[in-house]
Amino acid sequence: MKKGKLLGLLTVGILSLFHSGCKKFLDINPLYTQDAENYFETAVDYERALTGAYDLLQGTFIDIWIGEIASDNSIAGGESVTDSEGLHEMDDMKHDAVNQELRNVFRWNYAGIARANYILEHKNKIDFVGKDKILAEATFLRAFYYSQLVKYFGDVPLIIDKRLGADEVTKTSRTPKSEVYARIEQDLQYAAGILDWNSPQKGRVNKGVCLALLGKVYLYQNKFDQAAATFQQVIDDGNYSLISDVTKMFAVANEGHSETVFDVEYTGAEGGSYGCLICLEGNAAPGFHGIRQYDGPVYGDGNSYNLPTKDLFDAYEAGDVRRDATVLDLDAFIKKQPRPGDIKFAPGGGGHTGYYNNKYIKKQGEVGLPDNDLTSPVNYKLIRYADVLLMAAEANARANAANEGRALQYLNLVRTRAKVQPVTASGSALVEAIWNERRLEMACEGHRFFDLVRTGKASQVIKDFVPGKHELFPIPQVEIDLSGGNWSQNPNY
Amino acid sequence: MDISYHKCTKLLTAALCLLAVNSASAQVAKDTAEKIDEVVVVGYGTAKAKEFTGANATLKGEKLEKMNVSRMDQALQGQLAGVTVSTNSGSPGGGSSIRIRGLSTFGDNDPLIVVDGVIYDSEGLNALNPSDIASINVLKDATAGIYGVRAANGVILIETKKGRLNAAPQFEVSGFQGFQQTAKKLDMLNANEYAILKNEMFANGNRPMPFKNTALGVGTNWQDSVFATAPITQLNISATGGTATSRYSIGGSYFDQQGIVGLDKASFKRLNARVNFDTKMSDKLQLSSVFLFTNENRSGLPENGIGSVLYNTINAYPTEPVRDEFGNYTYLKEVNDIINPLAQMQNSYNWAVVNKFVGKEELEWKVTKDLTLTNRLNYNYALVDNKVFSPLVWYGPGKAQNTAINANLDPSQVEIAPGTLIDRGASVYEGRNTYGDLNFESFVNHVKQLTSNSTLKSTLGVSVFKRDGLGLGGTAFNIPNNSLDYADISANLAPGGFLNNVYSFQFQERLLSTFFRTEYNRAGKYILSGILRRDGSSKFGPNSRYGLFPTVSGAWVISDESFWTFKKVRSLKLRTSYGVSGNDQIDNFAYRGMLNGEGVYVFNDIITQGVAIGRASNPDLKWETTHQFNLGIDAELGESFTAAFNFFVKNTRDLLFQPDVSALMGTAGPGSYPPIINAGNVHNRGLELELGYSKQFRKYSSLQVNFNTAWLRNKVTATPEGVDFIPGAPFGVGGNIATRFQTGFPIGYFFGYEVAGVYQTQAEIDASPVKQAGAKPGDLKFIDQNGDGVINFSNDSDKKMIGSPIPDFTFGLALNFRYKSFDVSANLYAAVGQEIVRNYERQQPYANQLNYTINRWTGAGSTDENPRLTTDLNRNTVFSDYYVEDGSFLRLRNLQIGYSFSNRMLKKMRFTTARFYLASNNLITLTRYMGFDPDIGSIGGPLGSGIDYGFYPQARTVSLGFQFKF
Repeated sequence: MKKGKLLGLLTVGILSLFHSGCKKFLDINPLYTQDAENYFETAVDYERALTGAYDLLQGTFIDIWIGEIASDNSIAGGESVTDSEGLHEMDDMKHDAVNQELRNVFRWNYAGIARANYILEHKNKIDFVGKDKILAEATFLRAFYYSQLVKYFGDVPLIIDKRLGADEVTKTSRTPKSEVYARIEQDLQYAAGILDWNSPQKGRVNKGVCLALLGKVYLYQNKFDQAAATFQQVIDDGNYSLISDVTKMFAVANEGHSETVFDVEYTGAEGGSYGCLICLEGNAAPGFHGIRQYDGPVYGDGNSYNLPTKDLFDAYEAGDVRRDATVLDLDAFIKKQPRPGDIKFAPGGGGHTGYYNNKYIKKQGEVGLPDNDLTSPVNYKLIRYADVLLMAAEANARANAANEGRALQYLNLVRTRAKVQPVTASGSALVEAIWNERRLEMACEGHRFFDLVRTGKASQVIKDFVPGKHELFPIPQVEIDLSGGNWSQNPNY
Repeated sequence: MDISYHKCTKLLTAALCLLAVNSASAQVAKDTAEKIDEVVVVGYGTAKAKEFTGANATLKGEKLEKMNVSRMDQALQGQLAGVTVSTNSGSPGGGSSIRIRGLSTFGDNDPLIVVDGVIYDSEGLNALNPSDIASINVLKDATAGIYGVRAANGVILIETKKGRLNAAPQFEVSGFQGFQQTAKKLDMLNANEYAILKNEMFANGNRPMPFKNTALGVGTNWQDSVFATAPITQLNISATGGTATSRYSIGGSYFDQQGIVGLDKASFKRLNARVNFDTKMSDKLQLSSVFLFTNENRSGLPENGIGSVLYNTINAYPTEPVRDEFGNYTYLKEVNDIINPLAQMQNSYNWAVVNKFVGKEELEWKVTKDLTLTNRLNYNYALVDNKVFSPLVWYGPGKAQNTAINANLDPSQVEIAPGTLIDRGASVYEGRNTYGDLNFESFVNHVKQLTSNSTLKSTLGVSVFKRDGLGLGGTAFNIPNNSLDYADISANLAPGGFLNNVYSFQFQERLLSTFFRTEYNRAGKYILSGILRRDGSSKFGPNSRYGLFPTVSGAWVISDESFWTFKKVRSLKLRTSYGVSGNDQIDNFAYRGMLNGEGVYVFNDIITQGVAIGRASNPDLKWETTHQFNLGIDAELGESFTAAFNFFVKNTRDLLFQPDVSALMGTAGPGSYPPIINAGNVHNRGLELELGYSKQFRKYSSLQVNFNTAWLRNKVTATPEGVDFIPGAPFGVGGNIATRFQTGFPIGYFFGYEVAGVYQTQAEIDASPVKQAGAKPGDLKFIDQNGDGVINFSNDSDKKMIGSPIPDFTFGLALNFRYKSFDVSANLYAAVGQEIVRNYERQQPYANQLNYTINRWTGAGSTDENPRLTTDLNRNTVFSDYYVEDGSFLRLRNLQIGYSFSNRMLKKMRFTTARFYLASNNLITLTRYMGFDPDIGSIGGPLGSGIDYGFYPQARTVSLGFQFKF
C-alpha cells in the first residue's frame, strides 16, 4: 500500500513536471506562410501588396449599375423585384440605409483604402529602386477609392497611412467632404509628379490617369478653372485621341486603343460564380446585362439587369451612330436577323423595357471561357478620352476665365465623331448642350446619376428624387452601428 | 438455458457443444450482472449507473443493430431524450447534425465523440460500423467537463464490442440486403396543367401566351426519371471469445449503398476490419489494444442548393422530354441556370476515398489494490483522396454549368503562361489530404476506503494531443478523349504537365491537459463529485491559451434511506450538477493575421497574384464557455418501470464569432475576413423525460417499451457590440436573407413578412389603410407590423419572426416485443413545432411549379391562399410566411419483424442463434410539409437549418436480413 502510494505520487509528480515543461509545445507557428507583421522585406513584397490594392478596382462594375439605374437612363430589371433588391430601391428612389449594393460600395472602397494604406504604412521599412513609383501608385489608388466614397456618401472617415484595429474604429468620425477632397487632390498631385505618361504594363496607372482623375475631382467640386487647366495638360501632353468608329469602343479586341485613359482590367481566363462578385477577375456587369434566356446570334444569355429606358433611346437624334451602339433595341435587332423565328429570349420578372445596355453586354466570343456565363473580359472604361474632352469642355464653359472656343472645340470633336452636326451655342445654352452630350456619349457607362446630381438637374429628370436628400446615398446603417454609432446619417435618411 | 450435455452429444460433436454451453452460460452470467450493477463509461473511468451523478443517456449495441443503419448517428435519432439528430443529407454516406441539448453556439455544435477513448470527429463517423458498437453513453450535462475545452456540446462515449475471458470462440455472421426508394415525390404540374397555368401567367403580364395548344397530356415527370430503386447491402463477420488471461473480438464488415438519386453516382461503400484484444500480462499489468481499419468510398452529386440535381428536377418543365428524337438529353432552354438533371447526373464524376486507421494501445498497471495507473496512446490516421472529373459537356445555350463552348463539345482555350494557350478540355481535380492525431494519456485511478461505509475515488491525469494535417492537390485541364479512362492528372496534355488551381496546406494543432476528478461516496446513498480540468490549446491566442473548467455534482439515493417505505418505488435517485466546459472548434491560427487574402489583378492581360491580409488578427481569442445546471431524478418503479427526468439550464458565453466589423478595417476585400472574436451569449433550457417498461411474460414472451420526450427553448441572449443581428441563409436568388442570429430569438430563426391573405379587388387595395406599393388584385397582402400605414419593402421594419427550425418537442418511442420465435421491433420519432422554408421553387416564368398553384388566385373571391400567377412585376416572391411551412412530423423510422429458430432446430444446424428478419426504414411519415423530407438538417452552419433547396430525402428501405451465431 505504501509503496503503491509512493509510486502513484511519483508518477503524478513526473507527469506534472512534464506538463509544465511543455508550454513551448503549444507555441506552434504556421508553416510556409507569411504574417501581416513579418512582411515588406523585399521589393517583391511591395509589388505583391500593390497588386492586392489594385484588386478592388474590379468592384467598380457596380458603378455601371448604380450610376445608370438610379438615373433616368435605366431600370433595375433582373429575375424579380427582389433580385438585387437594393438596385430596385435605388431605381425607385426608395433606398434607405439598409441596402446591400450601397454597402458593397462602402466596404469595397474601404478595403481598397486599407490595402493601399497597408503599403504606405510601411513606406520607410526598406529602400529599393522603383519604390517611389510603387508608393505613387498606392497613393493614387487610395485617392481613387476616396473619390468614389465622397461621390456616393459625402463626408467619410479619412484614414491615412495606417490600418485600424477594432477599438480604433469607434474613435473615428466622418471627415468633412472638403477635407477628404483636399487629401485626394494632394495625393493625386503627388502621384502625377512621380509617374510617367506611359504605363510600364497594361493596366498600371500613369500620369495621365492621375491628371484625368484630378481634373474630374476638381469638376465635382465646381473648381472649373483648376479642372480646365488640369484637363488641358492631359489633352496637350497626353498621347490620347478619339477613335474614329465609336461602335468599336468596347470590344475586347480593341482594348488599349488611343481613347483609353483609365481602364479597370478584367479577364475572361478565370471565370467564376455568383457567390462572391468582388472575388471575380472578370467583369460581372456584361453577364448581368445580358438578355435573359437568349438563344440567337451575336449576344449571349444573361440576367437582364440595368435595362435602358425608352427615354434614353429616344434622346438620340436621327443619324447619331451612338444610339444603336449604346442601346440595343432587341425586337428591331431580331427582325433584322436571317431567321428571326428561331431566336428566343424571355423577359425578366424584374422589369422589361425591350432595351439592353449595348456597351457592356454579354456577346459571343467575349465571355469568361471557364464559366461561359457570368464573367466577361471586357474592361470597364472608368475614364476615356471623350469623357476627358467633355469634362474639359464643361470646365472651360463654366470657368471664371471661360474659354467657350475651347469648350465648343472639344464638344464638337465628340459630336463629329458621332456623325451629328456641330453645335454653335454659348453661355448657358452651351453648358446645357455639353450636359446633354455627356448623357448621349457616356450613357450606359455609370456616370449619369452622378452627373445629374453634380449639375443640380437630378430633381428635374429623376422621378421621386428629393432635393436635399438624394444627392447623397445613405451611409449603410450597419456601418454606423459598427462604428459605435458615432457617425451621423446623411440628411433626411 | 436447457442445454444438457447428454442431449448434446447425440447431435453434435462434443467440442461444438461445449462451445455452445460456455457461451450460453457466460451470456446468462453477464445479463444478470448487468441488471444488478450496470456500469457506464464516464471518461477516464467508469461509474455504477446507480451511483452516477451526471445526466446521461445510454443505448445498447443490440438496439442499434436492429436499426439497420449505415452510421451510428442515424441510429441515435429518437432514442435518447435531449439528443436530436437531423439529417443533413439522405444521400449514402451523408452526415447528420447531432445536437445535445440544443444549439448553443453560432459555430460548431458537434459533440465530442470518443470511441474506446479515441477522439473521432463527426465527419469521421462513417468509418464506424454500427454493428461493432457495444454501447453508447451520452454525457449531457456538466459532468462531461472531464473533457474540458472540448465538452461544451456534450460528449458521446462509444465502446466497441469486446471479448470475454474464459469464453470459447463465438462466430457471428449477419447481414441484410435491401432496396430503397424515395418515400415521396412532389406533386408537380403535369404538361397540360403547366401549359394552362403558364398561358395565364403570361397573359396576366400582358405577354403573348407561350402555348397555342395546351392539350399536352401529362408530359415528362422528371421525378420518375431521376428517382431510382437502389440496393443496399451489408455483411458482418465477427469472432469473440477469450482464454483465462486474454479476450478478443475481431470482425470485418462490408457495406454498400447506392443512392435513390444517382445510384452509383451517389453511393457509399465501406470495408472495415477491427481487432479488440486485451491480455493480462501479469497479475498487475493489463494490455488493451484496439485497431480499426476502414476503407470508405463515396460518390456524390450536387445536393441541397441552387443547381443541385433535385433542384433542377423540381424546376424542369414537363413539356420537355428527357431526351430528344436523336436520343440526346434535352436542353431546357426556357429556364436560366436549370439544366437537365439526367444529363447532370450522367456527367458528374466525383469520388472521395478515405482510408483510416484508428487504434489504441493501453497499459493498465494495478500498482496496488487501490491504485491503478493507466497509460495509453491513441492514434487516428486518415488519408482522404478526392477526385472530380469534369468532362466536356453542353447543357444548352447559356447554361452556367457548360464546360464546352458549343454542342459540338469544342473546348475553350486557357492561357497558362503569356502567349501559351491550351485547350481547357475535360478536366480532372485530384487532391490528397492526410490527417494524423496522436494522443498520449496517463492517469491514475485511486480508491480509498475512508470508513467502513464511505469511499473516496479519485482520478488524476494528463493528456497530450497533437494533430497534423497536410494536403496537396490540383486540377489538370485537357484530359485526352474527353474520357473517364484518362481521368488522372498525369494524363493531361498541357506542356510540362501544367496544373491549375494547385493547393497545398500544412497545419498543426495541439492540446495539453490535466484533469482531476474526485468522488466521495457514503454508503451508496450520498455521492458528491468534483471535476477540474485545465486545457492549453494552440488554437487560441498567446494572451489566453489556458482555460480552467470546474464541475461539481452530487446524488442522493433516497430509496436507500431507512425512512423510505414506498416499496413500489424500488429506487429513487435525486441528482444535480453544475459546471463549466468549453468549445474550441475554430480554425487553427485563427488568432493570427495571415497574408492569405486574395489580391489578384490583371496586368498585361495576365492574372497577376498579389497578397492581401486574410482574416484580421485577434491575439485575445479564446474558447467559448458553457455554464450548465442540471437537476434530475432517476427512478425504478416496481419490477418493470424505469423513469428518468432532467431539467437543465445551459448558458453559453463568449461565443466564437466572426461578426461583421466596420468597413474601415478593410476586411471586405476578396479573401479577407473579419477577425474571430469572443462575443455573444446563447441560452438553452429544457426538460427531458425517459420512460422504460420491460416485462417478461412467462418464458417465451417479453415486451420492452422505451419512450422519451424533450422540450427545448433556445434563445440568443447577446450579440457582439454594434451588431444587431447576424444574417444567415439566403432565400431565392438575389440576396434575400431568410435567417438570423439575433438577441431574444432562437438561433437561425426565420425573419420576413407576414401574409394576411390575398388582395381580392382594386377597391380593397384602394380602401386599405395600409399602402402596399405595387399591389394589384391577386397579390399577397402583407401585414404592417410597425403600424406606419405603409408596407416598407426597403427596410426591415415590417418583417418579423415567421418561424424557427428548432422543434419545440421531440418524441421517441422504441418497442421490442418477442413472442416465442418471433420478435418485432419498431422505432418512432416525432419532432413538433419547427418550421421549414420552401426554397426549391425557382421564380422564373418557365420553371415548373408544385400543383398547389392550381389553386391560384384567378379573380375576386377565388382564393385567399395563393397569389395570382403573372410575369408582371410583383412582390409575391419576397420572403414571407407564404414560403414557411409547418415541419412537424411523425416517422416510423424502423420496423423489424424477426424469426429465430428454436433451440431444437439450432442444434440440428449447429448454431447457437439463427434469426431472419424483414425490416423497413422510413416506412411511414406523417407530415403536412410539402417537400421531399421534413427531417431536414442544415445546409451549412446553425443559420442554415430548415432551408429546403430540394433536400436529398432519406430513402424508404425494405430489407431482408439474417443473423447466425455458432
